[in-house]
Amino acid sequence: MSQNLTYEAVDKIYDEKGKNPVHALKDVSFTINAGELFCLLGPSGCGKTTLLRSTAGLETISSGRMMYGDVDISTIPPYKRNIGMVFQSFALYPHMTIFENVAYGLRVRKTPDAEVKRKVTEVMELVGLQEELKRNPSPTGLSGGQQQRVAIARALVYDPDILLLDEPLANLDAKLRRYMRAEIRRIQKATNITTIFVTHDQEEAMAVGDRLAVLKKGVVEQIGTSDELYTQPRNAFVSNFIGKMNFLESTIAGLDGDMVHCKINGTELVVPVEKCRCHMDRLAAGHEVLVGARPEMLVVSKEPVARSVRGTVKIIQHLGQFVRYEVDLDRTISETIFEIDMPGMVRGVHEHDDVYISVKPDVAALFSKEGRE
Amino acid sequence: MKKNSPSMESIGAESRTKRFFQKDFSQYLVLAVPMVFLAIFLLYPMFTTLVRAFMAPADDLAFHGFSLEGFKQFVVSRLYRKSLYNSFVVSISVTLLTLLIGIPMGYFVARVKMPCKNLILSLGILPVIMPSFVGAFTWVILMGRNGIVRVFLNWLLSPFGVTVPSIYGMFGMILCMTLTYYPFVFQLAYGAFASANPLLEEAAMLMGAKKWRIMRTVTFPLVLPSLGAAALLVFVRAIGNFGIPAMIGGDSYVLPTLIYFEVNGFWNINGASSIAVVNVLITALVLWLQKYMVSKHEYETISASRSEMKLHEGKAIRIMALVFCLLVLIASLLPQLTIIIMSFFTKWVGLFPEGFTLQNYIRIPTYSHRELFNSFYLSILATFLCAILGSLVAYITERKKPKGAALLDLSVMAPFILPGTVVSIALLSAFSGNSAIRLTGTYTIIVISYMIRRTPYVYRSVAASLTQLNPSLEEASTIMGASWFYTFRKVSVPLILPAIISGSILTLTTLLQELSTTILLYSGKTRTVPIQIYGAVADGKLGEASALSVVLLVVVFIIVYGMNRSQGNKMASAFKMG
Repeated sequence: MSQNLTYEAVDKIYDEKGKNPVHALKDVSFTINAGELFCLLGPSGCGKTTLLRSTAGLETISSGRMMYGDVDISTIPPYKRNIGMVFQSFALYPHMTIFENVAYGLRVRKTPDAEVKRKVTEVMELVGLQEELKRNPSPTGLSGGQQQRVAIARALVYDPDILLLDEPLANLDAKLRRYMRAEIRRIQKATNITTIFVTHDQEEAMAVGDRLAVLKKGVVEQIGTSDELYTQPRNAFVSNFIGKMNFLESTIAGLDGDMVHCKINGTELVVPVEKCRCHMDRLAAGHEVLVGARPEMLVVSKEPVARSVRGTVKIIQHLGQFVRYEVDLDRTISETIFEIDMPGMVRGVHEHDDVYISVKPDVAALFSKEGRE
Repeated sequence: MKKNSPSMESIGAESRTKRFFQKDFSQYLVLAVPMVFLAIFLLYPMFTTLVRAFMAPADDLAFHGFSLEGFKQFVVSRLYRKSLYNSFVVSISVTLLTLLIGIPMGYFVARVKMPCKNLILSLGILPVIMPSFVGAFTWVILMGRNGIVRVFLNWLLSPFGVTVPSIYGMFGMILCMTLTYYPFVFQLAYGAFASANPLLEEAAMLMGAKKWRIMRTVTFPLVLPSLGAAALLVFVRAIGNFGIPAMIGGDSYVLPTLIYFEVNGFWNINGASSIAVVNVLITALVLWLQKYMVSKHEYETISASRSEMKLHEGKAIRIMALVFCLLVLIASLLPQLTIIIMSFFTKWVGLFPEGFTLQNYIRIPTYSHRELFNSFYLSILATFLCAILGSLVAYITERKKPKGAALLDLSVMAPFILPGTVVSIALLSAFSGNSAIRLTGTYTIIVISYMIRRTPYVYRSVAASLTQLNPSLEEASTIMGASWFYTFRKVSVPLILPAIISGSILTLTTLLQELSTTILLYSGKTRTVPIQIYGAVADGKLGEASALSVVLLVVVFIIVYGMNRSQGNKMASAFKMG
């Protein structure tokens, strides 16, 4: 049966003895449960692909251990690890038919022909390509979505212990991408193989994964379910990477029971203590923090309201279900333009007008300023 | 802490040895072979050549003391000075003339509406496929003292008081090489003009530029790198060409024939080494100049979208273009035609060939059976070994990316720009006289020289194909459980096989006509067909030489044609490189 996959203090340094060592993974430690569909998410260069390739054995880690159950797999060469992998480019063999492509791993394992035929047919049914298998063309004659399915079938056919997916949807068009991510989840649940899915697309990760790990510059920032990451981001980076978060620069005015009072350019905001995502000692008066609010937590009004800040509307975009206002605030409050989603058009507000921005009560969160980008 | 450290260390050592034994060593064994070969038969000979160049004339490879005797000849000897001068004049004039012919021809075929473009392109590659020395001796028939073309031209030009010089000497060498090498410029210029993005020119037109201005400021700068590459290719070939000056140079020596003179006449390997070093220095200097000038003019194409190229349709330019192309093709293909006619006659002096006969062909099996066998045996064997060597080295540099990859690339590619005579000198300097491995006069030394000279063809072809090949194809195989060797056999080799084959075909066709390397290495038992042709021409047996050349041509043509049929249009591009 499947086992847990555990990373213990994994470090990866490229060009360790060279002039420009690159620290690609820093003290990565977490566990992926047996049968779980786990997403590695992060901006490019965050180390997610390095972690995946290290798991496969295509890269050797500089220190730490990778445990499959109680076996240390970090020194096992890749061809002995019994892992399945789907590459971003699919890496299908143009000189073989799709049958031979899928059968490759079985041929390597010297499986008898009858068994090969049975297993290939079985797995092609699982990925929904039984008709294509009858024609058995070269993979170059298939559509992108079909090639993707062949690649998945090829990785699954020899019952690997772990399935690795390296940005498997990046080469597909937007519509197919949405369809295939549901398919991948269906196939993973049908086989129950422990799966790691690497992507830089947060929407994709949230839709596919049982749990997600957000990486930044080789460090795991947070691990949790989609809901946990969206509603309880641990820091400013995660909050702005999983969905959009607007930040207001502010200073702590003081603590009043369960409420934190923050000064923002003259006005004052109140945030409940349980919404504080920073260390408690940051809440002493005078400390600089960030007040974070998602686009739907903010309100645009034409006239000044209590506890509001002034800004200028740059662009109004009607996006169907909601209207997005892009508002430029005073530089001391925010360096970046605010995105505010209103349920409908705000009467009398046009582009280039001055407006007032306020936060809905008790929804904003407090973040420490460190590691925002 | 101290107590713990020994056990910690032993754990580390244990896992290290474990790691060591789990590694897959088959790759190191396979990949070491080409490295050893290159070290012994390429780097070591190049080194000994360099050493011998600075030694006084002597037979043995033993360092008796530093001497500039060899180089001093370039100052004191009139023959050396003249050869150096001739080499410069010939290669520079040939480069300029090929540019003068090739650029307009490339532009015409790419940008002017005209019939039979594909035919013109195919015919325009033929002179390179044909051995250059064959072209040279047919020009003797056409433009020798009483050659038909010369008589005709003299009659045509007599009212102006101009006489065409005889083919022997500088004029002949320049004419011959120009007509042999213009295809490089033509094909590369054609490629550049045809693949340039027409939107760039249209944009200039919309901004108000006139035709000539567009040509000067947009079209030409963009094709300049291609033209630079073509010019270099021609120069390197012209300065290293042995066959043409040997056939029709007369008493005008150039560096490659001077090397031959030193070795064949005096067995002066050390002196020849000095000439070889000078020859290579000139080539290297030109290579550097070209790199330096072209690097300033390399551009990335920015726009992604393209539109159909607009062709010139004016009547005047269409007629001019067609006439120009036809004239060049006729002039450059005249030797092929001549040789076929000549092979059926005993002699051709004056207007018409005389004495129709089939004897030239009938005598081949009796007189040249050994040469035919040798040519095929040596070429096929060397091609096979080249394919293995070139593919493995390409695999090493592209996939294993060792620390010295750039150096490896440089050393494999070096013979690509080395004249054939220089390669022979390098091998002779390392493996003759008192050397530990004596190879003079053997089949082995010829096979090795062929391998050294032609491995770049396979190497280039395979390396290009490997860079196109996504490494994840091989990684996928590894992950699915295949060992390195299994992956290499089932994935890497099948995927680069087309590149190996096209590189090998190019190798085989050029080796069948190899003269400049073989001429310094052959012995009585290892004579090849080109050597036989060379000898026949020297003895004045033009009919016999022609018949042998036709046989060679037909074989080469069949191989290239068969290749074209199975691989599409790739061959033409392969020859551009070769």
